[in-house]
Amino acid sequence: MRLVLIVNGATHSVDPPPSASLLSVLRDDLGLTGTRFGCGSGQCGSCYVIVDGRAVASCLMPARQAVEREITTIEGLAQGDDLHPVQKAFIAEDAMQCGYCTSGMIISAAALLAHDAAPDEAAIRDALAGNLCRCGVYGRAIRAVQRAAGTRGVAGGSPPAMKKGSAPAITRGVAGGSAPAMNRKNK
Amino acid sequence: MNLEERIRVEPDGSLTAFSGKIEFGQGIRTAFAQLVANELDVPVERVRVVLGDTDEVPFDFGTFGSNSIAQEAPALRRAAAFARRTLIDRAAARLGVPAKRLDTKDGTIGDGDGKRVSYAELVRDAPLTGTIPDDEPLLPQGRWRHIGTPLSRVEARDIVTGRARYTADVRLDGLARGAIARPPVRGGRATRVDERAARAMPGVITVVRDGDLIGVVAEREDQARAAADALDIDWDAPTIDAPTTQVVPLREDAGTDAAIASAALTRSATYTLPSIASASIGPSAAVVDVRADGATVYAGTHRPFGLRDTVADRVGLPRDQVRVQAQMSSGTYGRSSAPDVGVEAAVLSKHARRPVLVQWTRAEEFACSPNRPEAVLEVTAGLDGEGRIAAWRYDEHTNVHTAAGPDPRVAAMTSGRNAVPPYAIKHARVVLHVEPTPLRTANFRSLAAAENVFAIESFVDELAHASGQDPLAFRLRHVNDARLRRAMERVAEVSDFGGKLPERRGRGFACTEYHGTYVAQVAEVEVSASGAVRVLRIWCVIDPGLVVNPDGVRNQTEGGIQQSASWALLEELRHKGGRVATTSWDTYPIATFRDAPESIEVLVEGDASAPSTGVGEPGAVPTAAAIANAVFAACGARVRDVPLTRERVRKTMTDR
Repeated sequence: MRLVLIVNGATHSVDPPPSASLLSVLRDDLGLTGTRFGCGSGQCGSCYVIVDGRAVASCLMPARQAVEREITTIEGLAQGDDLHPVQKAFIAEDAMQCGYCTSGMIISAAALLAHDAAPDEAAIRDALAGNLCRCGVYGRAIRAVQRAAGTRGVAGGSPPAMKKGSAPAITRGVAGGSAPAMNRKNK
Repeated sequence: MNLEERIRVEPDGSLTAFSGKIEFGQGIRTAFAQLVANELDVPVERVRVVLGDTDEVPFDFGTFGSNSIAQEAPALRRAAAFARRTLIDRAAARLGVPAKRLDTKDGTIGDGDGKRVSYAELVRDAPLTGTIPDDEPLLPQGRWRHIGTPLSRVEARDIVTGRARYTADVRLDGLARGAIARPPVRGGRATRVDERAARAMPGVITVVRDGDLIGVVAEREDQARAAADALDIDWDAPTIDAPTTQVVPLREDAGTDAAIASAALTRSATYTLPSIASASIGPSAAVVDVRADGATVYAGTHRPFGLRDTVADRVGLPRDQVRVQAQMSSGTYGRSSAPDVGVEAAVLSKHARRPVLVQWTRAEEFACSPNRPEAVLEVTAGLDGEGRIAAWRYDEHTNVHTAAGPDPRVAAMTSGRNAVPPYAIKHARVVLHVEPTPLRTANFRSLAAAENVFAIESFVDELAHASGQDPLAFRLRHVNDARLRRAMERVAEVSDFGGKLPERRGRGFACTEYHGTYVAQVAEVEVSASGAVRVLRIWCVIDPGLVVNPDGVRNQTEGGIQQSASWALLEELRHKGGRVATTSWDTYPIATFRDAPESIEVLVEGDASAPSTGVGEPGAVPTAAAIANAVFAACGARVRDVPLTRERVRKTMTDR
């Protein structure tokens, strides 16, 4: 079944089986493998893409329903070499381990910030609640979204800091501690 | 070992380092690059690290036991130091300056501000070779530029842009998709297969029957899956081998029973932990291309060389004609020590004569993966008249913890890991019982340490309260190791352990030493009237010896704590009739963003004079006990069964 999809600003013509999911078309017909398969039932967030401004599970969306909609995948967030603020913030906070769920998290965060430029922590947790992470980087990811929003370290926007003077600065791991140095190539 | 097996100076002067370890998100690629860059005095981005490619890296047994840094840091540093010395010798000849006057700087060698020669020029005529001496001197600490410096992951930009390629993202010309037909109960064999309907379905390339493996290869994933579902198969009931229980004494001091009998105060308790799933976010996957002259395997695996041999034997190729290239993988925390999906893709590829990608479904991942076994821990202790532990009797009942199956030679260090407490106790008897199970069990983060430390650290807490002692002070009376003591005292200090808290809140303490790494944690929880436990904060002090990447250590430790909190509060893999009953995120929930504590504060305070030890597992080990002890402090309920569900906590509160 021939479909015309608008993905990351470009128009693509594809011919998948009628029942193909948007995820399958992105990964297998368009080669956009940055959107990951996790569960196939919309429960884990690994396959989120932005469709008309909303983060959706591409595994549940039939490709034919994505026709004429504006689709943004993880590959389409950066403007050339200039990363999206959420991408920059995830690097700065080193908010990843295996990285398999990271695409979906960044999509959720980007969709959130497009609607709410300065969400509080509860709003961030709610917006990303559909993104499961087994490695356990939730705290770092929350701080990354706050950093992208410019609210990191602002009252109400970060976890409570520990009492003063109890640890050398280099070893501090919560808000207020120094962010890890970025690799030169990431700057 | 020869230098070229470990480090190559490329024609452009950049460096390539080789290791048989694999990256699952632990950050070892970054740390290895730092170690090599440090010794060879170059920026980190000049180092490329090749991991787990069996044609390129030296043999390695596997990535487990939090052993990557402990094992590879000394080896890579020595190799790099030898490379540096060899380069300086070449520069001395080239520049006509004595080697002792030369020094390295950013990939060049020279004498102060005089003439310099680059690493690239020094390898132009001949590659760097030679046997790495075991006693090769290392760069003095005053010259370190990278060891001890926090650094984001070297893969970070690829990960956030989606360019990172995981196993299921490997795309080869002619790549087909495979799906496997599974028996209803593990071990069931097909007695009749009608494949006519499946063969007629769209996209189907072939139906494969090879030994016990039955599968379909098709052009697209959903086509392969639909055809596998359309196979009409009769399965027999599996015959279950029932090996006998292995009884392994781990410590047996004479007089233990007598010391318990004559103790001033005696307590006994039994703790239970369920089987839990590795619950990788990305289901298991492999791409295999079997050709007449060999095979290439792309997979996330803890054992690239083991997988190579298993695949070679299964498809009938010489082992040296099979190449495994370990890919970036969704974290699997030990589960990928088993070769399963790689073998499946190899067999399908052999018959289809095409490269084949197999990626399990979410349900397969839960139902067919090996899991952490359950554990029942029985403990009795006697205190003397001064409130010290005089005697300790501990029986651990669990199943085999490794993919390789029961092996008496390794039972103590796997299923029995951390069963012996880190405390000075005069009389102790610790016995491991490895019992048979029809379920598939295997390696999972920290093996049995998480279970044993839950029981030990909960029970020590109980003994302290039973004898009217502060839980921390009571532990410290039994600690001789200075590093463990320091971690314990530091975490108590930074968390204000023992300070006053609002009603329904409590703090709990737990600690361990795991493969040479010291961890002490304090958890703060709030317990609602209905029994719901919310973890508010966790403090952790970790001492893994010399720290290569402080942020890498912190990230691993935070993640281990977060994952372990999820095990402790939410997770239980349930079985029914020999089948896993919890096969979706609905029925096997893990912690989400909403469950994450307000803060997990990790203080990395490594003893720089001690060798580097691992951090992949230790952070996860004491967390369940710290939480259970905090629940007791908050509401008086001593919950000895994990997970600490709302129902269980409420029942314990009302029963007491």
